[in-house]
Amino acid sequence: MTKKSMNAAVSLLALAAMAGGPALAAEPGAVDEPIKLAMLEWTGAQISAQIAGKVLEKAGYKVDYVTAGNYPHFQGLADGDIAASVEIWLNNVGDVYPKVLAEGKVEDIGSLGLTTKEGWLYPKFMEELCPALPSWEALNDPECVALLATPDTLPNGRFLDYPADWGSRAATIILDNNLPLTAVPSGSEGAQLAELRAAAAAKTPLVMMFWAPHFILAEVETGWIEMPPCKDQSNEHCIMPPDVNKVVWSGFAPKWPAAYEILKAFQITTEDQQKMMLAIDEKGQSLDLVTTEWVAAHEAIWRPWLDQALN
Amino acid sequence: MQHFTREEMIWAGLLAVSLLLVGLAHHLPVLRGFPAGLTLPLSEALNTVISPVFETLRPLGRGLSLTIETPLSAIRAGLAWAPWPATVLALVALALYAGGRGLAVFAALALGLVVLMGYWPKAMNTLALVLISVPLAVGIGFALGALGHLVPRVRPGLTFLLDVMQTWPAFGYLIPLLLMFGFGPAAGLAASVIFSIPPMVRNTMLGLDEVPPAIVESALMAGARPGQLFWQARVPVALPQLMVGVNQTTMASLSMVIIIAIIGGFNDIGWEVLSAMRAAELGRSLGAGLVIVLIAVLLDRITRGLAGRRRRAGGWFVAGLIVALVLAVTLPGEALLPGEEAQRWLRRLDAWLLDFVAWSAPFFALLRDAITYGLMLPMRLGFAGSASPMVWGFSLSPPVIFAYVLVATGIALGLGWRRPGRGIAFAFAALIFWTGLPGFPWPGVFLLTACATFRAGGAGLTALATGALLLAAVSGLWQPMMQSIYLCAVAVLISFAIGATLGVIAAGNDRVSALMRPVCDTLQTMPQFVFLIPALMLFRVGEFTALIAIVLYAVVPPIRYVEHGLRNARADLTEAGVQMGATKWQLLWQVKLPLARGSVRLGLNQTIMAALSMLVIAALVGTRELGQQVYVALSKADAGAGLIAGGIIAAIALVADRLLRAPDGRSGGKSGGKT
Repeated sequence: MTKKSMNAAVSLLALAAMAGGPALAAEPGAVDEPIKLAMLEWTGAQISAQIAGKVLEKAGYKVDYVTAGNYPHFQGLADGDIAASVEIWLNNVGDVYPKVLAEGKVEDIGSLGLTTKEGWLYPKFMEELCPALPSWEALNDPECVALLATPDTLPNGRFLDYPADWGSRAATIILDNNLPLTAVPSGSEGAQLAELRAAAAAKTPLVMMFWAPHFILAEVETGWIEMPPCKDQSNEHCIMPPDVNKVVWSGFAPKWPAAYEILKAFQITTEDQQKMMLAIDEKGQSLDLVTTEWVAAHEAIWRPWLDQALN
Repeated sequence: MQHFTREEMIWAGLLAVSLLLVGLAHHLPVLRGFPAGLTLPLSEALNTVISPVFETLRPLGRGLSLTIETPLSAIRAGLAWAPWPATVLALVALALYAGGRGLAVFAALALGLVVLMGYWPKAMNTLALVLISVPLAVGIGFALGALGHLVPRVRPGLTFLLDVMQTWPAFGYLIPLLLMFGFGPAAGLAASVIFSIPPMVRNTMLGLDEVPPAIVESALMAGARPGQLFWQARVPVALPQLMVGVNQTTMASLSMVIIIAIIGGFNDIGWEVLSAMRAAELGRSLGAGLVIVLIAVLLDRITRGLAGRRRRAGGWFVAGLIVALVLAVTLPGEALLPGEEAQRWLRRLDAWLLDFVAWSAPFFALLRDAITYGLMLPMRLGFAGSASPMVWGFSLSPPVIFAYVLVATGIALGLGWRRPGRGIAFAFAALIFWTGLPGFPWPGVFLLTACATFRAGGAGLTALATGALLLAAVSGLWQPMMQSIYLCAVAVLISFAIGATLGVIAAGNDRVSALMRPVCDTLQTMPQFVFLIPALMLFRVGEFTALIAIVLYAVVPPIRYVEHGLRNARADLTEAGVQMGATKWQLLWQVKLPLARGSVRLGLNQTIMAALSMLVIAALVGTRELGQQVYVALSKADAGAGLIAGGIIAAIALVADRLLRAPDGRSGGKSGGKT
């Protein structure tokens, strides 16, 4: 089917929907104006954006992908320079997002459906050096701590924390449990990955704050530390899996009503995303190819989103 | 014992005060770090002032960004539409025209490599950015330069403004620009233009000032009106210098490609480097970085060739352009790009790097520990802090303190017997080595800075320096600031030692010199992010990795300036040295290096500037200095905090620059080396 006849077919469907469909049916809106989707820096978000975009194209929309930095792009969302961003980790949004959300310039349209995890990660070989792993008790073992110590943290062991700008609770949790560790901020995600790769390759011990899903977990053999009981259930003293949501510009729904419904229904599973990440980051396949294949093979998943929005 | 000069009296007095402060600081913690009770919420205050300002500027900014984005997307679309053989041919023809056959061959090879690596479309997006930002910067720069030339009154202010524009880290003002221009390439372009204007202004002023009076006279005799005098006499004569400005502006704006990518909105090479850095992939970031280096070197040689005005092969140039146009119309656009084989090849580099890391880990761990224990910890914690069982294996017992004081006093007196200045300098060094740079009592830092800047640059410089210190202190950034100074000091020491040595070798050996030039070009134009990945794997997150990254960048100026200075040392004086039977070593130390003093000092100056400019990049490997503050402010979109931390970095750079420049200005012609 050519694109044109596809558009025609979609319009027909839309017409049919208006004639007698359920009340949910939405107008397609400005199909000639491209919907700008944010392509953030990390592969997972790029996969989510590409799949969302390809599904929107199936519904007859034009889509532009805009590469954007995670923090600056909230300004773009608030101003409508970017129409939607489908993978926003709410544990790492900086200070602009809460502000523009409160002002009603952007709208949170619900979870992306990823099963996330956050915690303390170590390369697998460490289990030979610290037999108590994966229990957190291993980090109280002087021999294990001595392996982690560096000139900057002596006599404590070194704990590689999130970059200073992400905000992290590791130092609080270390203090809560009197662990002989010093949290060192890592500066960037790249720095954490480089350390993890080098630690696994050179067999140098390492414990760091990390999250899933992430492509590195398929590349390096790792384990998660079983955390000590939380002092209380607050975000400050306890690590809880972060929410990953979809966010649109406040002008999105009036401009593209059906697309709004589609994005609201849009979900992606952790397993699917991880498989695609592996294909792209490890096997070197192109983002476009991998996501096109997914869309071709999973019509059963996305067809209902379209039907529900258009019929 | 010789008599003290007035200068030495002052410094001896300061030394006594500092000694007293250090002694007191052991008992009065309030002297060690700036008291937290005295800090003010300056960044919040600044935010409440500037946010409304930028909100009101918003319509203007949005209008400007629309005006910029229209030609930008047109150029981008044009470059994306043209099939690569056509664009390559056009650029090769331009290279032939500007620089001859050698440059044409280089252009063909370089652009071929870009195509082969699969970065062509992104490289063209980068080129589109440069093609917009350079004319803008050149236009504004020329106008400001002409203003500075025509109205000498504005000059001091203008020069100061240019210094600030070059030293203020762009990350520090990215947020206000984002607020004003909105999301998209315009905000990044504005940052790029701000950073790349100064060389154009400086070269415009220099070029216009140096127009020989005879030419101006004869133009006036011929009855030229002011406008004619300017456009038809001064500007054409100054053209070579103006082209140097264009060249430097092009280089500066290319180095800002990464900053533009931080915001995003433009799928270019800078974005590719950032993404690769984020995934810690060396191969991909090296490939993308190489594209930037190749474009930079190519544009550098082309603009330099045009500046030299030795044009040739005009016919070939036109013929090449016509063939390129024909190709552009006949060939299909994207179909000709190669597949992703080369990308897979680049990824293989990462596997090799990991093998190397695994194999070399013990050696590099040893190197890291040696420099950390031997140099970095003593400079940070001082002797007093390092003499603990944890670090050096012995504790700070009274006999150890006594021995330190005895040895330090002994050497200081020994040195000061003949030349009191040296003795005082050593005593200061011993004192700082005792406390560590960040631990030096803060009133002492204020006092010493005020005195040094007043002696070197007068009340204005003192006001700037103490103002910056005060700003850092009351905004709670005292520790990060001292940390920055310490990190830069260590980096400058190492860079200058290595760089000057390499420069001396290169000056004496043409083959080494030829080998060094592409290495220097690469180190300076390769986005510094690329170096971070291997450094992180070998040395892990922390100050040491930051140090390595800073040194890799800051090592280039001393190589260049020392070689330049030695090679241009006056031949007659060198010859005289040889006649007097000086050995090679004596000739270097006692004749050539003193002759090249001006150039060496400028090299040191540039080393400091380079080290300071790397602070923000170093934040990515987890440092705790001002660069990190700028970076955190950027991600929190805290405009005020970014401006304050960036401003302090700029002030440190300006003060260091003036301190180093001052003695040169005073001794004037005596040093001989004109730079």
